[in-house]
Amino acid sequence: MDPVALIDHQYTVAAYAITWIIQLGYVAWLALRWRAQNRAARTAAPSNNY
Amino acid sequence: MKKTLLGLYAAVTVLLMFWGYYQAIYVAPDESTMHEIQRIFYYHVPSAMVAFLFFAISLAGSIGFLTYRRTRPDWAQISDAWALAGAEVGIVFCTIVLITGPLWGRRAWGIWWTWDARLTTTLVLWLIYVSYLLLRRFAAGPQVQTLAAVLGIFGALDVPIVYMSNRWWRTQHPAPVFGGGPDSGIKDPLMLHAFGWNLLAWLAWGVLILVLRFAVERRQQKIAEAEAQAALDA
Repeated sequence: MDPVALIDHQYTVAAYAITWIIQLGYVAWLALRWRAQNRAARTAAPSNNY
Repeated sequence: MKKTLLGLYAAVTVLLMFWGYYQAIYVAPDESTMHEIQRIFYYHVPSAMVAFLFFAISLAGSIGFLTYRRTRPDWAQISDAWALAGAEVGIVFCTIVLITGPLWGRRAWGIWWTWDARLTTTLVLWLIYVSYLLLRRFAAGPQVQTLAAVLGIFGALDVPIVYMSNRWWRTQHPAPVFGGGPDSGIKDPLMLHAFGWNLLAWLAWGVLILVLRFAVERRQQKIAEAEAQAALDA
């Protein structure tokens, strides 16, 4: 692969990877909040979220 | 039943994402001048479209909250939850736009960033909605939801400015791909299909996480109501 095409490929991979890291990271954060809410509902402890 | 339907929808969404990825990477041909870097387009443009849609949902929720806050408090809370969910998920997609765009721009133009109309107005849009979330996170008191709703409405006013920016002004950002005149549009059918599949996949994914975020917010509202009631009863 020529050097220009290689760098283009790396940038494309970075764009796709960063997209998925952000999306899946957000879903993970939602899952953690859901779990925290389950705990709060069970123990009726105060929550510091929004 | 709801969980089954949601699970089914999630499964179809994941399949669409895989199909969209396959279309973008393996089926769509190399673009003649930009070659592989052009494939960022299949994630960048759908993310922008979904972000705009969700900011519009946030606008509708904000208007709904202001409309119903005195007459129908329960509807107002539902509207507020949609406003927050739309803003937050819109920011996720807008963040992706602001990262994938410069990655493309660095290779296509040799620069990470320029203060042209499209990029600047998109950054302003992102900053407005981040400030919306910061307001909701750090402010306290009964007026927070009202202030946030007003800010959400003003933030949504930037969306048509972002959309029209590369029509109204000369920009570094490429001219509109869709609706930009007789020479615009994707001419290659394989590219068009790849774009269409990715738009559908990202829209489906966005709706899924929007609904999940709405559900989290509704649960939070109910927890807050229960705590307030317990404090009153104590």
